[in-house]
Amino acid sequence: MTTALATPAAPARATGVPRQWRWLARLHRPALICGGALALLTAAALLWLGGPLTDASAAAWKAYNACAWDEVCRYDQDAIILYKEVYTWTTAAVLAVPFLVAAWAGGALVGRETESGTARLAWTQGVSPTRWLASRLTLPALLVVVGSGLPAALHRWAWTAADGRVDTAKSWHSSATFLAGGTVPVGLALAGLAAGALAGLLLSRAMAALATAAVAVGVLWAGAHAALPYLWPSVTRVSGLRDGPLGSGMHVGEGVLTADGGRAAAPCFTSRLPDCREELADLGATAFYRDFHPASHYWPLQLVTTGILLAVAGLLTYAAFQVLRRTTGTARG
Amino acid sequence: MTVPALEADALGKRFGRRAWALRDCSFRLPAGRVCAVVGPNGAGKSTLLALAAGLLAPTEGTVRVLGARPAAARPRVGYVDQDKPLYQQLTVAETLRMGADLNPGRWDADTARRVVAGGDLDPDRRIRVLSGGQRTRVALALALGKRPELLLLDEPMADLDPLARHELMGLLMGEAAAHGTTVVMSSHVVAELEDSCDHLLLVGGGQVRLSGEIDDLLAAHTRVTAPATADLSPHQVVESRTTGRQLGAVIRPSGPLPADWRTGTPTLEDLVLSYLRNPAAPALPPAPETLEAAV
Repeated sequence: MTTALATPAAPARATGVPRQWRWLARLHRPALICGGALALLTAAALLWLGGPLTDASAAAWKAYNACAWDEVCRYDQDAIILYKEVYTWTTAAVLAVPFLVAAWAGGALVGRETESGTARLAWTQGVSPTRWLASRLTLPALLVVVGSGLPAALHRWAWTAADGRVDTAKSWHSSATFLAGGTVPVGLALAGLAAGALAGLLLSRAMAALATAAVAVGVLWAGAHAALPYLWPSVTRVSGLRDGPLGSGMHVGEGVLTADGGRAAAPCFTSRLPDCREELADLGATAFYRDFHPASHYWPLQLVTTGILLAVAGLLTYAAFQVLRRTTGTARG
Repeated sequence: MTVPALEADALGKRFGRRAWALRDCSFRLPAGRVCAVVGPNGAGKSTLLALAAGLLAPTEGTVRVLGARPAAARPRVGYVDQDKPLYQQLTVAETLRMGADLNPGRWDADTARRVVAGGDLDPDRRIRVLSGGQRTRVALALALGKRPELLLLDEPMADLDPLARHELMGLLMGEAAAHGTTVVMSSHVVAELEDSCDHLLLVGGGQVRLSGEIDDLLAAHTRVTAPATADLSPHQVVESRTTGRQLGAVIRPSGPLPADWRTGTPTLEDLVLSYLRNPAAPALPPAPETLEAAV
């Protein structure tokens, strides 16, 4: 360590970002280790889930379903329960990643520096404010893409492995499953990173920025959840009055079609019941309809949601740079 | 005429919709000076230094640093914040290595090492366990290692004991003299600056009250003791007090003084206090001749 004191006057070699990254990694070593460990543990758990646990659970379900009613049914109930538990916990872990990223970005990455004044130290140590922020966003963004993308991809893989084999597996459109798989967690985590940076710059208080950024991710999460059905054109399935509305997937809306071609809310769901038949006749209903997203809409919905989240992340990043430029009077670069 | 180290023109800064921290602030500091920025707490000293360091954008007016915008001059300016912020988790050696990495092409490792070495500091100690004086030393090492042309120090000696204060001030002045660095240092303790500074910027209530070479400022003012009936009106009165039949005042004479007045040169502390006690006293415009003389 003492050799550092003998560092010769640094020649003007390739400068800038890589050096700042080195110090960024040094300053946030604990977070890097914890975050990496969390991502790897989650990834390992998901591999376990999608491989051996799914196989064991699928075998148990097969045995269960093969049981005749009159004999003692032997199947591996523990395997079914273990699958369910590990699925629940790994899903929660993947869902937590964007919140953790946002809290870290708001609290430690930017908020602590603006609160304690070390940001000012950096800005007067040859790192312009914009380069300072750029280095604090790019490397973490890369790590966040890997750290949230890998678990999310494995989550989708594990879900796919169980689809149709494990009877209690969650449907593709259940909120937690949809938002934990695919590309949405990456978009959410990047938006969290940008929200944390902006909160840290605006509030200059680590704890306040931590909380604000986490709440911002919660708002985005709820927004994504609420807007999801409308982010891609749904398909409509029309079904007979006796059958009720049909079509499985993510429901958008349902009701009855009337003789004049209009839509109306369904008072009841099958004309096999006499009362219902009368009510449907009064409405002039000719058929039931259901607007929904079939499983084939999984990727379009994922990608559109992710795109919107990335746009939000971009706007937040732009806002963060603007705030920094305005407060420090740095015009460009 | 050389480029001034620091030049403010109608500079003002307001935080949010609150009162102005600094307003209508104009002055000019020639290069190579050691300038004391003096004023009570909350006078706007820190704001002025942060504006000069390019850490804050002015609300109105301009400030030029080494002839450039503060943001553009940042690589040539050293700054030490009042709180001496440092990364707590780094060791002393790592902190200096970071200084070298963040200031490629400018870093003077010898200077930085000398500043730290004087403090009997173990390079492997973490910043978080250092005393106030040791932290100040490391913060100064970072600022000086950058070999700045202009060094801005916000209350650099505030949390130091007299011994450390004396030692660090000596070190600072030595480094500044050796490299011809312009130093601007704020303090609310006038006495600690009197020996080391040759230029004064007195800030009070967000405005510049006095600015110029200390010797010139002292020479421009006279402390007088006169009969209570004396008429001070031809002169600019900074402060006057009547005790019994006597009148004591600090004035800027505009002509010869009557022979029966006792006169003397005020001390720097007298002068500063007389201005701070009398916010209504006219601010002394920077006399053109002192500026020229200073260049």
